[in-house]
Amino acid sequence: MSTVSGIDGAIEPPRPEDLVAEKRDSARSRLVRRFSRAPLLPEAGAGGAPLTAVIAVISSLAALALAAFILIATASNAWTAELKSSLTVQVKGVDAAEIKQHLAAAVKILDDTPGVVDYRVIDSKAAGKLLEPWLGKDNASSLNVPALIELKLSAAGRAGIPALTARFEKASPAIVLDDHGGWNDRLANAARSGQALAFAVFALIMGAACAISIFAARAGLSANADVVSLLHLVGATDDFIANEVQRRFTVIGFRGSILGLAAALFLLSLFALATRARGSDGFLLPGLTVGPGLALPLLAVPIAICLVTAVAARHTVLRTLRETY
Amino acid sequence: MILSFDQVGLAYDGGPECLKDVNFSLSEGEFRFLTGPSGAGKSSFLKLIYLALRPTRGRMTLFGEDVTNADRDALPPLRRRIGVVFQEFRLLDHLTAFENVALPMKVAGVNQQQYREDVRELLNWVGLGSRMDARPETLSGGEKQRVALARALVSKPDLILADEPTGNVDPQMGEKIMKLFVELNKLGAAVIVATHDLQLVDALGKQTMRLDGGRLVEDAQPARSRGRAR
Repeated sequence: MSTVSGIDGAIEPPRPEDLVAEKRDSARSRLVRRFSRAPLLPEAGAGGAPLTAVIAVISSLAALALAAFILIATASNAWTAELKSSLTVQVKGVDAAEIKQHLAAAVKILDDTPGVVDYRVIDSKAAGKLLEPWLGKDNASSLNVPALIELKLSAAGRAGIPALTARFEKASPAIVLDDHGGWNDRLANAARSGQALAFAVFALIMGAACAISIFAARAGLSANADVVSLLHLVGATDDFIANEVQRRFTVIGFRGSILGLAAALFLLSLFALATRARGSDGFLLPGLTVGPGLALPLLAVPIAICLVTAVAARHTVLRTLRETY
Repeated sequence: MILSFDQVGLAYDGGPECLKDVNFSLSEGEFRFLTGPSGAGKSSFLKLIYLALRPTRGRMTLFGEDVTNADRDALPPLRRRIGVVFQEFRLLDHLTAFENVALPMKVAGVNQQQYREDVRELLNWVGLGSRMDARPETLSGGEKQRVALARALVSKPDLILADEPTGNVDPQMGEKIMKLFVELNKLGAAVIVATHDLQLVDALGKQTMRLDGGRLVEDAQPARSRGRAR
């Protein structure tokens, strides 16, 4: 090119207002260029700010659904661990003497059984006291309340539960070992249902993110039809244009999902504080503390949202370009 | 052979043909003016060449490849060998003059380090060295025309197409732009310029072809010698 003479003396003096706009624009573009390369598709028409807001809301809901999944798993583990760690022996009888006799037999069996870590006897009188709040002082003591033995077994001892049950039964049908298995199963089933529901909500929200990305990518292409056409005419491949759109959607997805995650963590913190303030900490949701244990797995949300938005936008662009241009 | 048309016809959406039975060829280093009245099909003819449209009839080759029914994936490398100056400039308003000129290089995947100097040199060459960071909205019509010209030339194309390149500039500037095409042609690029400006065409004495009613009326004689022959 340097061998061809230039076009000299043909420049019209720029208007002052243009120079001011240019100076402002140059400072901005230098700043932008320092941190990112100039996007070939304009921001306008791609729905940048509204799409970021929608992605933020969606990410927040996705993070809450995932948090519910994690919290239910944590709570379920805590409930079952608590139930599994202890067993109860119920000792019945027609009168206090018989209960006492059966209780002695049960204690003797426990003393002879390997794997028993600890046990605590709650005799008929003490068990009656436990019922006083419901039955009244006099009524509870007049009843023939069964005695209880709270029992802790080692891991090896738990393996011997069927043998222990058989020994109690042999000693007397009035001595019954309850390993809380029924409760455990019901709690585990409830937890599994809760987790499945939370995961379904999470999957639906991801589907919504995908649908929104497809819609926004189509709208963006339609709004920038002239730009896309020019890019084709200067030799851009469909892949090149799809990469541009994908890059844009990854940035929007990242920005929106980080905002959404922050909002979700804030809401979870408020919920944890409210739960503690009511004094119900550790009762239904023993894992509800917003620390790294909950926040780190939730980082999967921005990653998933970025992936979903970028992949959906890319496929939409490639398909639309083939159909339209 | 850079370009050949064999009985090419073009119709938009099943309508009547706007180009009919066009036979035409262009070799390396050739220069042609394309003239004709408004609506004669000049822009459609150029659109076929820069692959914005495909012929609805006949056969067309570009750089030795049959592009009549070529797969769309085969087109981008061919388009990169063509520099187009569009009638309405088609600059991207959200990009600076520098970025607009650099567009074909970016699209071709060339590293910015490699094309930065070329783009600067070209913008200096068209007299816009001081306005590289300006956006099109702040440029005059003539300046936009020169940015569009620089963009068409930046990738050192084998074929340069210009659709009414002097339509938005004063006569002096128009003459300079035309002379520029002639100089680029001397450097080896084949050039087709569609224009209404018959004075400029006559002044430069290059081969001219005329479209009329969608048919190409070939005139292989340079305009000047044709004038002398009369």
